[in-house]
Amino acid sequence: MQKTIEVKNLTKKYKTKKAVDHLSFSVLEGEILGLLGPNGSGKSTTINCILSLLHFDEGKITIFGKEMKPNAYTIKKEIGVVFQEVAVFDELTVIDNIDYFCGLYIKDKKIRKDYVMDAIKLVGLEEFTKYYPKQLSGGLLRRLNIACGISHKPKLIFFDEPTVAVDPQSRNNILDGIKTLREEGATIIYTTHYMEEVEQLCDRIIILDKGKVIASGTIDELKALSSIEEKISVEGIVLEKERIEEIRKWEYVEAVRYENSILVVTYKKGKNNLTDLMDYFREKKIEYNKIFSERPTLNDVFLELTGKELRDSYA
Amino acid sequence: MHNFIYSLRILFKNKILIFWTFAFPILLGTFFYMAFSNIEDSEKLDRISIAIVENEAFENRQIVKEAFEALSDEEGLFNTIYVEEKKEAERCLANDEIIGYLFVEEEPKIVVKTSGINQTILKATMEEILQMESIIQVKIEKRMQESLEQGIAFDLTQDFFKQMAMDIRNAFEEEVSIKDISSSHLSYTMIEFYTLIAMACLYGGILGMTSINQILPNMSHTGKRISISPASKGKLILSSVCASFVTQLLGIFLLFLYTIFVLKVDYGNKFPFIILLAFVGSLAGLSLGIFIATCLKANDNLKTSVIIAVTMLGCFLSGMMGITMKYVIDKNVPILNKLNPASMITDGFYSLYYYDTFDRFYMNVGSLLLFALLLIGFSMYQLRRQTYDRI
Repeated sequence: MQKTIEVKNLTKKYKTKKAVDHLSFSVLEGEILGLLGPNGSGKSTTINCILSLLHFDEGKITIFGKEMKPNAYTIKKEIGVVFQEVAVFDELTVIDNIDYFCGLYIKDKKIRKDYVMDAIKLVGLEEFTKYYPKQLSGGLLRRLNIACGISHKPKLIFFDEPTVAVDPQSRNNILDGIKTLREEGATIIYTTHYMEEVEQLCDRIIILDKGKVIASGTIDELKALSSIEEKISVEGIVLEKERIEEIRKWEYVEAVRYENSILVVTYKKGKNNLTDLMDYFREKKIEYNKIFSERPTLNDVFLELTGKELRDSYA
Repeated sequence: MHNFIYSLRILFKNKILIFWTFAFPILLGTFFYMAFSNIEDSEKLDRISIAIVENEAFENRQIVKEAFEALSDEEGLFNTIYVEEKKEAERCLANDEIIGYLFVEEEPKIVVKTSGINQTILKATMEEILQMESIIQVKIEKRMQESLEQGIAFDLTQDFFKQMAMDIRNAFEEEVSIKDISSSHLSYTMIEFYTLIAMACLYGGILGMTSINQILPNMSHTGKRISISPASKGKLILSSVCASFVTQLLGIFLLFLYTIFVLKVDYGNKFPFIILLAFVGSLAGLSLGIFIATCLKANDNLKTSVIIAVTMLGCFLSGMMGITMKYVIDKNVPILNKLNPASMITDGFYSLYYYDTFDRFYMNVGSLLLFALLLIGFSMYQLRRQTYDRI
C-alpha cells in the first residue's frame, strides 16, 4: 500500500517550547488513522503543519509523494479538513455554505452542484438545505461542518474531533458518513477523545504525548502493550482507606483507584481475581451495587502510556 | 468571482455591518436634520465683520489690499471697516463689532479673539490670498525676465504699472476666486452632513476588517478552512476587499439618496466632486479597516470597537461635534488634521464650498489616496506570508 502522508523528523517550537519533537509517521492509502493524545500533546500542531498553516522548524512532509508547501495547490485540491471548530458562515444557508467552500476547489458549476448534493446526502441534511446555521442544532451544525470539508470529494481527509458535543443520532450519522468516505477510497486521519469511536473506525492508531509518538499500531497491538490483564470495577461501594491499602498489597494487583463510590482494581495477571475480590467483600461485610470484570480497554492503554485518561485530558 | 459574489452576500446579510454601514449614517443624518433644521434660518451666516489696519505696510501689499477690497464690496464675503490704528481695531474686537482684524507688519497677521467658523473662514481666506500673492509675484518676475531677454528696457512707466495691475487683477480673477458665500451660505447643518459623510466613508473600515478576518487562518475558523483550499490567497483578498468596497459605496450612495431626496440637502453644483471625494474617502476608510485587521491581534469585536472609536474620534476632531474643534486642532496641532482622514474628507468638502479653485480639494483627494495606499501597502506586506507561527 502506498503512503499518502509521510512525516519525517517534524519539529515545531513555540518560542523555546517544543510542541512537536522530531515526529515521524506515515499514513497509508485508504486507511483510517486515529491520532490520539492528551491536550497539548501536539496533535493539532501536527495537523496544522501538515496542512502548511503553520511553519515548522525542522522536518519534511510529503503528501501523495510530493513535498507539501503553502503553494502546493495540486496537493491542496485533494485535501479536505473538518476542524473541531464549526467553520461556516452564519450569513449563508446550509446549501450556500457548502457551495461556497466547494467552489474554492471545483470551478465547474454543474459538477459542483452534484458534489454539493452528494455532500448534503452523505451527512443527512436534505431537509435543512435552506436553513441558516443558527437555526440548526449542535449535531446538525457539526454535520454541516463536515459537509463543507468534504464536499469536493478529497482523497485525504482530516477529521479533528468531529463529534464533540453532538447527539447520538448525529454521531451515528457522522461515523457512518466517515465509513462511507473510506469505502469510496479516501484516506482519513481522525482525532477524537471517544475511545469507542476509535475502536469502531480506526485501522491504526498513533498515540502522541509531548510532541512525540509514544505508541502506534492496530487496536490489538496497542492493547498488547498494556501490562494489565484484567480490570474489575465495583460500583456503589463505600470503602475505608485501610481496606484500599489492603487490596493494593495483593499479589498481581497493578493499581487501585477509588472515587465517587467506584472502585477500580487492575491486575497484571492471576486467576479468579473476581471471586477473590467478592469473597473479601463478603468476609469484611462490605456492600456494593454492581461488580464486573473486563479486559483492558484502549483507554487503559492510553492511561498507562500517558498517565492521563483520554477524556479527562480534554476536560 | 465566486468569492466576490459570496463575499457580497455575506456582507449584506451581516446585520451588524449593515447597521454601521447603512442604517447608522442614515439615522444620524435624520437626527442632524431634526436637530439643526429648525435653527437653520436663524443661523444663516451673515457677512463677516472684520477690520483692516490701513498702515503703510498694508498699502505696500498691493495684492492683499486688492483681494480684501474685492471681497468687501456690497455682496462680498466681508463687511470690512478700515481703521488707522491697531488700537482701534483692538477696541472693535473687544466690543465684538468685528470677529477679527488684519494687521500687516512684516507679514500680514490675522488677529481673532475666539475660535469659530467665521474666524476659520477669515484665516483660510488670508492663507489663500498669500498663496496667490506668491503666484502673482512669480508671474511678475517672469515678465521682467522676458523683458530683459527681449532686450526691452524694463520701464517703470505708467503703462507698465497699468499692465501689471491688469495682470494682477486677471491673475486674481483666475486664481483667487474665493466664493461668495453670503448668498448661498454654508450652514451648520451642511457642516454636520459633510462630517457625516466622512464618518460613513470611514465606517467602510468595518467592512474591510471583516473581509480580511474572514479569509485569514489566524483570524477566524472560516479563514482556516479557506486557507487550506487551493484558491490563491492574493485573489481571495482582492475579491473580498472589492466586495467590501462595493458594499461601502452602495452605503454611501444610499446616504446621498436619502439626504438629497428625503432630507432635501442641497449639495450645490459640485456634486461630481463630492462623489469623487466620497469615493476616495471610502477607499481610505476601507484601508484603515484592512490595516487594523492586519496589525491588531484581537478578536472581531475589539477590532470593530477600535475602528468605530478611531472613526468617531477622527470625526470629532474634524468638527462633527462643533466646527470649533477643527479650528482648535488647525491652530494648535495642525499635523493631526493632516493625518486625520476624517479631517481630509471634511476639508475637501469645505474647499469645494469655499473656493472655486480645486487646488485644496485635489490636495485633500491626493492626501486620502496616499493615506489609503500607505495603509494598504503596509497591510499587504503583512499579509504576504502563507504560513503562521501560531494559529
